[in-house]
Amino acid sequence: MHRLSFDRPRRRAAPSGGPLIASGRPDARTKLDGSAVFGADLDVPGMWWAALVPSPVAHGRLRSVDLSPARALEGVVAIGAADLAALLPGATGDPDRPIFPTDTVVYRNQPVAAVAAPTRELARRAARAVRVEVDPLPVISDLEQVFPDWPGSNAESSPYVAAHVRAREGDLDAIFQGAETVVRETYRTSSVHQVALEPHACLAEVKDGKWRVRTCTQTPFGTREDVASLLGVPEESVVVEGTWVGGGFGGKGAALLEPYALLLAKATGRPVRLALGYREEFLLGRTTLPSVIRMETAVTGGRIVGRRVRLLLDVGTSLPGRDFATGYSIGFLLGPYRTPVFEVEGYAVRTNKPAFGPHRAPFAPQCVFVLESHLDHVAREAGLDPLEFRAAHLWKEGDTTPLGQAVGPFGLVTAFELARATAAQWRADAGPDSGVGVAVGFWSTGTGAGGEVRLRLSPTDLTVVQGEREIGSGSVLAGIASVAARSLELPRERVSVAYEDTSSAPFDSGVFGSRTTAALGRAVQAASLTLLEEIGKRLGGSGPVHLAVRAGEIVAEQGSTRRPIRELCSDSERSAGGIVASGRHYGTSGTIDERKVEAGTFYPYTDFTGAAHAAQVTVDRATGTVRVTRYAAFHDVGTVIDPMTAPAQVEGGIVMGLGTALTEEALWSEDGRLLNAGLLDYRIPTLGEVPPIQVTFVEGFAGAGPFGAKGLGEPPMIPVPAAVALAVRDATGAHVTELPLSSERVARALKLL
Amino acid sequence: MPPFDFVTPSSVDAAIAELRTGAPGEVTVLAGGTDVMFDLDGGKSAPRRVVSLRRLPWRTVDWNGPVLTVGSTLPLRSLERDPELPRQHPGLLQAIRAVGSVQLRHRATLGGNLGRAAPASDLIPVLLALDAEVDVVGPTGARSLSVDQFIRGARSTALASGELIRSVRFPEPRPSAYLWQRVRPANDISQIAVAAAYSPSDHRWRLAVGGIPPRASRVPEAEEMLGTATPTEAATRAAAERAARHLTIVTDRRASEEYRRHLVETLVERAVRAVMVSRPELR
Amino acid sequence: MTPTSLALTVNGKPRAVEDVPASERLLDTVRWRLGLKGTKEGCRSGDCGACTVLVDGVSMLSCLTLTHEVEGTSLTTIEGMADDPVGREVQNAFERAGALQCGYCTPGFVVALAGLLRERGRSATVDELLSDLGGNLCRCTGYLSIARAVALLRPEAP
Repeated sequence: MHRLSFDRPRRRAAPSGGPLIASGRPDARTKLDGSAVFGADLDVPGMWWAALVPSPVAHGRLRSVDLSPARALEGVVAIGAADLAALLPGATGDPDRPIFPTDTVVYRNQPVAAVAAPTRELARRAARAVRVEVDPLPVISDLEQVFPDWPGSNAESSPYVAAHVRAREGDLDAIFQGAETVVRETYRTSSVHQVALEPHACLAEVKDGKWRVRTCTQTPFGTREDVASLLGVPEESVVVEGTWVGGGFGGKGAALLEPYALLLAKATGRPVRLALGYREEFLLGRTTLPSVIRMETAVTGGRIVGRRVRLLLDVGTSLPGRDFATGYSIGFLLGPYRTPVFEVEGYAVRTNKPAFGPHRAPFAPQCVFVLESHLDHVAREAGLDPLEFRAAHLWKEGDTTPLGQAVGPFGLVTAFELARATAAQWRADAGPDSGVGVAVGFWSTGTGAGGEVRLRLSPTDLTVVQGEREIGSGSVLAGIASVAARSLELPRERVSVAYEDTSSAPFDSGVFGSRTTAALGRAVQAASLTLLEEIGKRLGGSGPVHLAVRAGEIVAEQGSTRRPIRELCSDSERSAGGIVASGRHYGTSGTIDERKVEAGTFYPYTDFTGAAHAAQVTVDRATGTVRVTRYAAFHDVGTVIDPMTAPAQVEGGIVMGLGTALTEEALWSEDGRLLNAGLLDYRIPTLGEVPPIQVTFVEGFAGAGPFGAKGLGEPPMIPVPAAVALAVRDATGAHVTELPLSSERVARALKLL
Repeated sequence: MPPFDFVTPSSVDAAIAELRTGAPGEVTVLAGGTDVMFDLDGGKSAPRRVVSLRRLPWRTVDWNGPVLTVGSTLPLRSLERDPELPRQHPGLLQAIRAVGSVQLRHRATLGGNLGRAAPASDLIPVLLALDAEVDVVGPTGARSLSVDQFIRGARSTALASGELIRSVRFPEPRPSAYLWQRVRPANDISQIAVAAAYSPSDHRWRLAVGGIPPRASRVPEAEEMLGTATPTEAATRAAAERAARHLTIVTDRRASEEYRRHLVETLVERAVRAVMVSRPELR
Repeated sequence: MTPTSLALTVNGKPRAVEDVPASERLLDTVRWRLGLKGTKEGCRSGDCGACTVLVDGVSMLSCLTLTHEVEGTSLTTIEGMADDPVGREVQNAFERAGALQCGYCTPGFVVALAGLLRERGRSATVDELLSDLGGNLCRCTGYLSIARAVALLRPEAP
């Protein structure tokens, strides 16, 4: 009944700074008038305040956690490891992830106890009163303390290694021996934080046998699963209700505060609020950590003949076997370039920091910075034009990735050519200290994770009932609504998206991985087919069913038959709000060629989403300060689902990427202390640093989402640091091999010091 | 934070009397409060009493001939928007704009900034370059001292017990410039900053470097090398080099010593040139 | 000594707040005693602007202001923007320009901008207004849609 068809590739320009795009955001008013309730705004009668008790050292043997000075304060309830058995009778939580450590603390500020009190002040005082005695152990604060050089052959059995991945194809040593040019480089990237403006916050209550928590989460069901696992209770006994989310960027995708708040709610018999201060956001945040990456590339006759990639990734206190980053990220050090003979190897190295956690396009911007900078350098060393060199190896549809996956419809080459043309134009009128860089990247829409929606068609409106809150991108409120409207041929104004908590909503994997519009959109399409089939049954005829709006209400049309939905509803359906149909998207992904894998887990892609960016910078040749003066982004999106929120995602992702490129860097001391845990000392971009950004969408190369859409939440970040770095090189010749491109690093690369 | 009393005296005498009611550290003065808040939060300061200056008659800007007198509790934003400032003290305007944000400058004050004597203060280098004077009142009466004498070190001033800054005086309009190096252009503190000014009355230059602990300081040797009115390119470079060599600078995780010295040299050169560009008669 | 009852006008209405400790921040008084949650707690260190309120029409960081410091003044929060013609203009411009995503920074921007428009008057250019918004951080939008909203408010003065 519904076909997915694609035109030949075409380009639709949506320039920023151009004509006004009418707002399609149904959440605009409530956010503009201050009525939207976020996690930290939750406030109920009788609510108590909670605080966490942090470990004073980054590594140590816990001798004692004395709660009595806190309990001596009137009104305070304090809980530690010893109280868990009573609070969770018969439960065995996750032995690898205890709520409170009993033996060793492994990162600074690791919660060792928690307190609750009727006021915020008292809770703070109580938390400070708890006496924590720890015998310090040596701290590993830098992965290069563990592996100052590339690890030896028995490294994977080291307790400091959380994961080891290796894959290869062909005889690389022979290739390197015979090659015309071999270039070897080492790069370093820094730790960056999500810095959503809203800190984590939740309100918990244990009532009627249910562990209920309201929280600003990107993944209500994921949080439910996590909480149930950590507490050791059945999932059905946990209810997660999402609030508005003030930015997630990967940092609100797993349980963080909820278990503590719930345990305190149980211990006090009251609603308990637990929220982090902004310093704590940095101190406890699980995010991208530093890396050391060694790249070796052999070139003969202008072509890459072999590559070796070696990744050492700091994963903090990630548990062995639970690291996703290494095997996933390493793909971004290989693609999107054809590489006949290769070796990739990565070690996830454990240090005394909170565990590595997902950021927006986790670790991909860093990988792409390394790959693009390296290939650009390789070309120059080999006497080749850098853009031509890269263009000659870009994946096209039908190519095979190094790990044996067939590349599906892929608009990267088209995007790249557009970026290259823009760069050439800009270079033509550039000033003396100005340069232009072109960088490409790719991503995979996260439809490997499944989800379900319910459609409810009333006589006048369509509601998509689902289990995600809008975290900002518009993918939930606008994206899914657009898919529903298009699938059922209804005007957008008649479609709304409703949220239900985990006790009644259909399951969904979460808002992450650029999957939401695509995966839930697929579920919407499935539900739409079911709905139209059901209506068709009720109409009793044959042939396709269409919906339309006539005289202010929705009608169903089949051939010459037309009946209003009002008449097609049963009485019970009418009182329940309308005809309901469910639809699911079953997470599917590609497969890789396991024969090439020698160790660890690599991840296949579901589709291939391309991005090509051009950045123009001006470099202050005396101070090394980089200013981005113009930016253009070309995105292979399959189909633009919502014309307002799509360019907004690109603009936002680019500016976030500029932070990773130029100013964001978490600094750690030798004893495992985060030195710049605050918004003054950890610098995200401000309004004055943003260049004009031109956004162009390349449509027609179908992706995994509805109508061929590809995910857009993360791709805009990916090429940014690379584009800026290449622009700096173009402007000055300075070759910076570290992120961020601070003014001092650029000054050093300019040989000013 | 332990509880404290909060008082809002309505006269200068009453304010001075409040300051003398406690032992050192027990009484904190609140002007705009933007710095004091950090001490209170961080536990660095646990006063028994906070004395707010909001009722005192010091939110004033007074242009009297060449002399500009700014009341110590005037919000910086008010001074920033004074229509005379761009022409008379351009460097001061640039420095004020460098402080935090508009919201912050609606509360932050000159008096507060001086009283805090933060090593990275964006105002103190310019005050030094403009030879500003600090007018102080206290139990033993009023006195004035130069900013240079007033700032003793990091977070340390010459204020005696019971004394308050009443105003800051700028003796004459000077072509001036304030240049800084930061990680990002807005809402940040400066890593290195340089204030340059030329005095039309004694025909000599003033150079002050900020951002290097313990405090911003003038560099008299470099000023000498600039000579009078219009230094040559070579003299400017030499002065900049001298300034860079003169200061004690360390390496830390945020920046290295070599880079900091390099910034001093670069910014001194640029600040001097900026002053000359703004006043063609000097060239 | 510290007064036990503080008189404020809040969004045009007189309010008396009792038993406010001297150490309490205006941000906390607004959110937890006055129940006005629209003003957001972000960094709590004066760096993000999410807590911006107007005190006698002047924009301030409520996280760095002691409540007792604003005794007797007229306080305007995001909830009061709809009652103010300039505030409404700003809200409408943001909505038309789609100048928000997660919405957490939005109240701070709206209030800051409303304060600026009053402070700087009709002659302020878009660039000047944008420069004066440097104290408001946003992580979602990349600021360009916010710049477009500001441009809507000053069509004659680019």
